[in-house]
Amino acid sequence: MKPHASSSLIWRITSIASIVATVLLIGGFVYAIKDVVNPVGSTYSASESDGTTQTTGNSAASTVPPLSDGVRVVALGDSLAKGTGDDDGSGFVRRTVDLLQQKGVSAKLVSNLGINGQKTEQVLSSLDQAGVKHALQQANLILLSVGANDLFNGGEALGNLQQQTPDASQMLKNAPETAARLKQILTRLREINPDAQIIYLGLYNPFGDLQELRVPGNQAVTSWNTSVMDIINKQPHMMLIPTFDLFQNNLNQYLSSDHFHPNGTGYEQIAERVVQSLQ
Amino acid sequence: MNSIWPLVQNETIKIIKKKRFYVVLLVLLVLVPMFTYASMREAQENRSKFGDDWRVELQQAITDNQNSLGSDRVPEEWKKYRRIFIQQMQYYLQNDVNPNEPGGVTFTREFLDNSSSLFIPLLIMTIASDLVSGERTGGTIKMLLTRPVRRWKILLSKLITLTMFTSLIVISTFIICYGISGLVFGYSGFTMPVFTGFQPSDAGVNMDTVHAVDQWQFILMQMGLIWFVGLCVGLLAFMVSVLVRSTAASIVIMMAALIAGTILTNMASSWASAKYLFMVNLGLTNYLSGSPAPIDGMTLPFSLTVLAIWAAVSLVVSFAVFTKRDVLN
Amino acid sequence: MMKKTTSEQSATLAPSTEANGSGAVQEHEIVLSAEHVKKKIGKRWIIKDVTFTVRAGEIFGFLGPNGAGKTTTIRMLVDLIRPTEGKIMICGYDVNREPEKALAYVGSIVENPEMYPYLTGWENLQHFARMQPGVDERRIQEVTEIVRLDERIHDKVSKYSLGMRQRLGIAQALLGRPRLLILDEPTNGLDPKGIRDMRLFIRELAAQGMAVFVSSHLLSEIQLLCDRVAIVGSGRVMAVGSVEELVEDKEHLVIWELAESERGAALLGSLSGISVLDHNEAHLDNDTAASLTANSIITRTPEEQIPVAIRELVQAGIAVHNVRKLNPTLEQLFLGITEGETIE
Repeated sequence: MKPHASSSLIWRITSIASIVATVLLIGGFVYAIKDVVNPVGSTYSASESDGTTQTTGNSAASTVPPLSDGVRVVALGDSLAKGTGDDDGSGFVRRTVDLLQQKGVSAKLVSNLGINGQKTEQVLSSLDQAGVKHALQQANLILLSVGANDLFNGGEALGNLQQQTPDASQMLKNAPETAARLKQILTRLREINPDAQIIYLGLYNPFGDLQELRVPGNQAVTSWNTSVMDIINKQPHMMLIPTFDLFQNNLNQYLSSDHFHPNGTGYEQIAERVVQSLQ
Repeated sequence: MNSIWPLVQNETIKIIKKKRFYVVLLVLLVLVPMFTYASMREAQENRSKFGDDWRVELQQAITDNQNSLGSDRVPEEWKKYRRIFIQQMQYYLQNDVNPNEPGGVTFTREFLDNSSSLFIPLLIMTIASDLVSGERTGGTIKMLLTRPVRRWKILLSKLITLTMFTSLIVISTFIICYGISGLVFGYSGFTMPVFTGFQPSDAGVNMDTVHAVDQWQFILMQMGLIWFVGLCVGLLAFMVSVLVRSTAASIVIMMAALIAGTILTNMASSWASAKYLFMVNLGLTNYLSGSPAPIDGMTLPFSLTVLAIWAAVSLVVSFAVFTKRDVLN
Repeated sequence: MMKKTTSEQSATLAPSTEANGSGAVQEHEIVLSAEHVKKKIGKRWIIKDVTFTVRAGEIFGFLGPNGAGKTTTIRMLVDLIRPTEGKIMICGYDVNREPEKALAYVGSIVENPEMYPYLTGWENLQHFARMQPGVDERRIQEVTEIVRLDERIHDKVSKYSLGMRQRLGIAQALLGRPRLLILDEPTNGLDPKGIRDMRLFIRELAAQGMAVFVSSHLLSEIQLLCDRVAIVGSGRVMAVGSVEELVEDKEHLVIWELAESERGAALLGSLSGISVLDHNEAHLDNDTAASLTANSIITRTPEEQIPVAIRELVQAGIAVHNVRKLNPTLEQLFLGITEGETIE
């Protein structure tokens, strides 16, 4: 009779399926315990996989088309690269890309690797990371902003205001090492991506509206910018975009509420300069 | 009556004919396409942002996390998670392996990872919670217990059946997930390497023990751990089902416990002794992928022990109560 | 008169070893015995003292009002409830110690025959057959035919009528060829034809040597069906005896409707053996009490005196409109047994 056939069929299928499943899962369970409790480290080499992964490697730089075929931007560095202080978070990087697009230039932001508070040392070490290298290799325009945190110690100068009045020499205490690292950074960047245009963002003096810091700040920033210019001028496809003059008398207008980072308008000004420099 | 198998056969047929298992399959068949679609949209959006370059995409994710590390508004535990995430992702990049290689297999792995502590236990509960209280609600318990069979044997047959269906649910989840997501993402990726053996510590991750396994091996391990979690939750739900007269009530009790577990896991850390609660220990697959445990001091052996003790206690209670208790109505 | 349950009666129980493992059904073999069974739930003694025996081939009634402890007792007989004290033996096995042996001889329906509604009748029977040794598909077919469910056996139980469920319940009880069949209020919810069929069916089973234990709160049903009966009230077996003893022995209540009720009552009262009762002391059931008029006369009359009384009335010129002999009600039985004590 059909009905009992269905019952015993259900039973046969379910029991066999579940016994197979249970054995399999117990196997997986034991395997998992072994693997987690007693892990054996091994270095992975791509040959272990059977080729379902990408084998493109890290030499993609040569395939990046020249600027004239479309601008491909990667930003690197500190909070300015990231765009901190901008009301809509774009920063000069995204604004640069947008401005280019408005002008009818094909432009794309490949990646923004800006991290708040980064100093030259961290940027330098990040250049050893595979992901950072890879992203940089995808660019034909690299926007670099670094150094301010080394010199001003992340705005610490502001905090020390009460105890003593800093002078230019104090701010420039770190300048020689910073400049040396910047040089290393630029060299590494060149190695990673030999063809890309590299734009370094010059420093402005964020303390211009504080009486005690105005003059020493101006001196320090100018001195730094000069020494950087000195490095950059010796390299091909590199330039420094000055911002010192831009901000000097417009701090109220261009600085955000933290009195350190630019606001949207400030970033827009920087972006315009970058775009101009590319024409 | 010597053999237990005819009794197991009875229980199996009842679960199938009562359509409890179909409900589980139906839930999977409805939800998995939704998750697949959501995941597909996410992939499309990322593609429009990053093109086909997963390395840039991954590096951007790393950078975003690095940025949040500097923020004072991000709680310290989250920072710990993110530091570990960053290190893991950098490891993947370094080895030029895409951890999110699109494909049905990867989707399945991620789905399993997320369903271990709540979704699959819930599915198993739909069966476990009804095993005994269902007989009570329907009054059939009187027919069942007036047979010439010892009560412990009847209970044991229900337990064996529960184990069988726990296995079937875990495997079905895999099959349905793979089958449906494969339509969208393709069916390849079993041999793709996945890194495991990350050992999170306060300082970050110990990378010494990291090694690659094929994705199918990883999924097998995941399913094994999920199976164990499911079995323990099943045993607890089973005990509640013995203790409580109505199926609805026993489902509500277990559901409350599981959801409390999810909430506790997210709040976690400050209440250290919460780690002895079973529901905080359900995310066993995290130990595979190397995410840090919700509470300090939790390791895979610890979680396994906690779960096993809870399960053993519920087993003892189930048998003690079921074999002794008067059936009054 | 009926015997009161005494220790003398339990002494008449055959030693349980006599029935041990014997395959063939012997006449008068004791199939079920309960000895001073008591049950305490919480702080209350629900069952205070239940003692009786049931023999092969007899239909044993378990009669008592609702709440007397019938269902609790039945649940103890089939090991759903553990007695606090006392012993229940089925075919020589202690039900609570060796349920897997004792219950092999029992088929039962406790309260309603609740089967799995999502399975077909056949699947239900298969389910229970798997829990008992020696029950094969042929036996399932047999019991299906016995209860005449063969046409609908492959339908889902959720589509069955109450009567069909009752029959399926009997079928599952019969599956294991039991020597003891326990039925809890088997005619509950059945229509008159169903009740008659059920009665015939139970008789037939008993005739084949099966012991049948039937609980009921209706004396009439027990009277029509049972050979022997135990009367339970407030957790105690108050009397055990044959139905004839129980009913025949009683003086009957007779209701008279006479043309001249006052003279008639006086005349009836003067006859030997007849006593006239007040309407209230008669303890009538509700239906009968409602049918009485102010002129109705109720007497306690030995059966053989009824024709005598009618003759006397007619000779005295009192027209007799109606004479009704009442079967005793359960409550009246209790009164007889407890000699005036009412049911607690």
